Amino acid sequence: MRRLMTFLLCCALSYGANFAAHAADADPARLKNVLEGLASHTAVRAGFTQTRSNPALAQPQVSHGTLLFVLGHGMLWQTEQPYQETVALTGSDAARLDAQGKLQPIRDARGVSQVSQMLQSLLAGKPDDVLRQFDVQTGGSTDKWTLHFTPKQSRIARVLASIKLNGDAFLEGIRIDMHDGSATDIRFADTRDAGAITAAEKSALGLP
Amino acid sequence: MKPTSLWLRAGIFTVATLAVALLGAWLLLGRGPLPIQTDLLAMLPATEQDPLAETAVERLAHANGDRMVLLVANADDDRAKSAARALGKALGSDKVFSSVLAELPPFDLQQFVAPYLAHRFSLLSDADRAALAQPDFDAAQVLARHLNEPFATAVGTSLQDDPFGWLQHWMDQQPWSRSALLPEDNLLTAHRDDRTYVMVTATLDGSSYDDSVQRRALATLARAERSITHDYPGTTLLRTGAVFYAAAARAGAEHDVHLVGWVSSIGIALLLLWAFRSPGPLLLAFLSTVVGVIAATTMTLLVFGKIYLLTLVFGAALLGEAVDYSIQYLTARANAGEHWQPRAGLRQVRMALLLALGTSLLGYALLGMVPFPALRQMACFAMSGMLAACVSVFWLLPALLQRPSKPLSPMLVRGALAMQDTIASFGNGRRGWAIALLLLLIAVPGWWQLRHDDDVHLLIAPPPALDAQELQIRTITGLGNGSQFYLVQGDSIEQTLQREETLEQRLQSMVRDGKLQGWIGLAGMVPSQQRQAADHALLAPLLSDPARMRKLLGDAGFRASAIDAYIAAWPGTTIDLQQWLGTPLATPFRHLWMGRNAHGYATLVLPQGQDDVAPLHAAATGLAGVQLVDKPASVSNLFGLYRGYASVWLLAALLLIVPVFGWRYGLRNAPRVLVPPVFGIGLTLAVLGYLGHPLTLFHWMAFMLVLGVGANYAVFLLEGEPHVAHRPGAMYASVLLSATTALLSFGLLALSSMPALRDFGLTLLLGIGCTALLVPASLPLRGGAR
Repeated sequence: MRRLMTFLLCCALSYGANFAAHAADADPARLKNVLEGLASHTAVRAGFTQTRSNPALAQPQVSHGTLLFVLGHGMLWQTEQPYQETVALTGSDAARLDAQGKLQPIRDARGVSQVSQMLQSLLAGKPDDVLRQFDVQTGGSTDKWTLHFTPKQSRIARVLASIKLNGDAFLEGIRIDMHDGSATDIRFADTRDAGAITAAEKSALGLP
Repeated sequence: MKPTSLWLRAGIFTVATLAVALLGAWLLLGRGPLPIQTDLLAMLPATEQDPLAETAVERLAHANGDRMVLLVANADDDRAKSAARALGKALGSDKVFSSVLAELPPFDLQQFVAPYLAHRFSLLSDADRAALAQPDFDAAQVLARHLNEPFATAVGTSLQDDPFGWLQHWMDQQPWSRSALLPEDNLLTAHRDDRTYVMVTATLDGSSYDDSVQRRALATLARAERSITHDYPGTTLLRTGAVFYAAAARAGAEHDVHLVGWVSSIGIALLLLWAFRSPGPLLLAFLSTVVGVIAATTMTLLVFGKIYLLTLVFGAALLGEAVDYSIQYLTARANAGEHWQPRAGLRQVRMALLLALGTSLLGYALLGMVPFPALRQMACFAMSGMLAACVSVFWLLPALLQRPSKPLSPMLVRGALAMQDTIASFGNGRRGWAIALLLLLIAVPGWWQLRHDDDVHLLIAPPPALDAQELQIRTITGLGNGSQFYLVQGDSIEQTLQREETLEQRLQSMVRDGKLQGWIGLAGMVPSQQRQAADHALLAPLLSDPARMRKLLGDAGFRASAIDAYIAAWPGTTIDLQQWLGTPLATPFRHLWMGRNAHGYATLVLPQGQDDVAPLHAAATGLAGVQLVDKPASVSNLFGLYRGYASVWLLAALLLIVPVFGWRYGLRNAPRVLVPPVFGIGLTLAVLGYLGHPLTLFHWMAFMLVLGVGANYAVFLLEGEPHVAHRPGAMYASVLLSATTALLSFGLLALSSMPALRDFGLTLLLGIGCTALLVPASLPLRGGAR
């Protein structure tokens, strides 16, 4: 079921260029602008802070790290705090980078690999997937936009309250709210075009 | 008083025939549905040493046997879903379906988790088990990673129930979590290649092999398909299920029976009408054949209970051979002219008919020795049919043929004579040897090119369109194929599950090496008690120390109430197979459990995504109680084995006939009589080689008949020739008549939809054709002809 969740989340992330035409509630011009803006960056680096709150937790869990996203290849999710771990999501595969810098495939990672596949299609993706699952509302301006997704499927809607994306030229944040009171909030900071990609990163992402 | 005794015999025969016909009619129609076996698997021989393996093959084949699996596809998502709903509604309104599943019943995602909570400390995924067994296992680290996983949100187990995510990882490994189909708008949906696929399943209220159920279900589906493709343009429907295969097989066989039956009947009728120049002989020839068919059908039903489609088609072709006996008697009458005496005529043909019957029975008996239900039934059908047809010539026909008749068509006799003289002149003396040598030289390169084929598709060849749809459905839904599987046996449930776990360790390493996509087995869903105890023991150091666990969870930020609840749940209970099998979640997998038998317990493991059997075999070697069952390969092996035997049998049959002919025609002449069938077989082999047609068991079986039938022609000619000295060519004309009727019916088999019968037909066509042409060479040269 987490797989379903990640799938849905990724659907939300994989909106594409012709998305606007399908979204009845959205402002087509703004969506088009947002997507074109995002699509102009083929490789992006960012710092992230993920805050997870849950009714079982007295305080939220916070993790920090960096993210490298290369359009068409995949992404490296590099957690630095509270532990060190790098996960490479490429195509349909998910792998953990061990201490020696070698890739260890994550088994039973169909959910995770779907994440990466969906993120691959972030810009060139299929808006239909998202619109089948979610109602979408746009807000803000082109410079400071928000996209608000609420699940259409009642089975999912009983569990998942909403997903909110916001950003400017880049994606700035993702917030996921569940009905049981738990929430995941991911903030991106210092987002920039990736520039040079190191040999280690290239090998982890399978880049030439 | 001669006529009276003739009539008496005919009367007795008629009464007996009617009794047999009544019995046959009752067997055929009086016992519920038509006893025609459309389940093609039933034709396959028992190949497995272990009877349980045969049972398992059957069970897997029928697990989906009474179910239609349909996928509604459309590029437009809404249309695909509406079409699937409409299809579900249309099928659901017909009582021929006991249940139709399109829209899912309402259920809660949490519903999957709840039953497993009590067992959460006994179920570990492979990765977690390995991690926990490491000496440097760091629980705090694992907890932190689970709490901070990228993107993940807990929809399955809640953090409070499963702080480390162990149960969640185990659930993720289960087949229902890996399904390619996801519930969407209350429909099981998959998206692929820009198309939406929606699954609809319909369970038949009856057997897929029941004629009336089959027709009704397919008619309803066809109507529903027409209406949804009309209402939702662009919709296509993929289908699979035993009912489609059974219906296709039935339709193919019906088409064949009609083609072979009608065309050969009409052909034979026209031929006989032309040859005998009156309708009487034609009717009598058919009467004798009908007697044969009635006897054959009744006998087959008595022995086997059901008739295979293969036998039905073959039976239609047998008409052409059964009619031979009456043709011989009728030509004897035609040749006798005004001097015709029914009894004398009978004496004249007796030896020929008995020899011919003997060789045919011998040929078919050899066919029946092969342990294939299909071939046995064909042999039983043929032997009883030929016997009855032959007896009808002795007992029934004389009474009906008391008056003399017109002679054979002069054109036929003249033509036959010309052929006979030409062939005989070439077939004798030095010229004969030269020609034999020449034929040999032509044949050898053909023999050189002969290849073999023992594939199971000889017997079972479903329409490619159905196979393609099944493959597509398998790819989209991720369902396994079931033609190869593991049978795991043990003395107790526990031992069976443990053995399955040993096998699955090997399968897991194949998955890691990319040699296998996955598998479905019960031990993955309900581990053995041993494994559950081991998993429990791995968690014990952490959980049996409440203070330590309290600190661990407390440091990670868990609330005291959540910690208390988690610690209180320890130690939990183990999951039990028998209990689990009773839960709704087990429904799709229940057929994997073979339950208890005389030797213990058995279960099935279905590998997925590996069509090469060598690595699958390797995974089972050396494991106690584990065997790979590969029915198609077993059948192919058996085909190959018997193809080898068949060539030896052919030689043996040839050697058996030599003393019989030696006794009748002298040892010096016997080889001469055998030349036509032997050359017929040799030349046919050469032609098959040149055509690049691989040899199968069925070719060899057909050669057995070529030998039998071909020897008949030589016998007819040699036996009959002295009686028609006044009418040269008449005897060969009758042989040609016999051969033409056989060619008409057997030759049409070459157009059959069943590969086995196609091979059979082609071989008989070539073999009998060659033999009939060569037969005059077995005659000593006629004095006048040169």
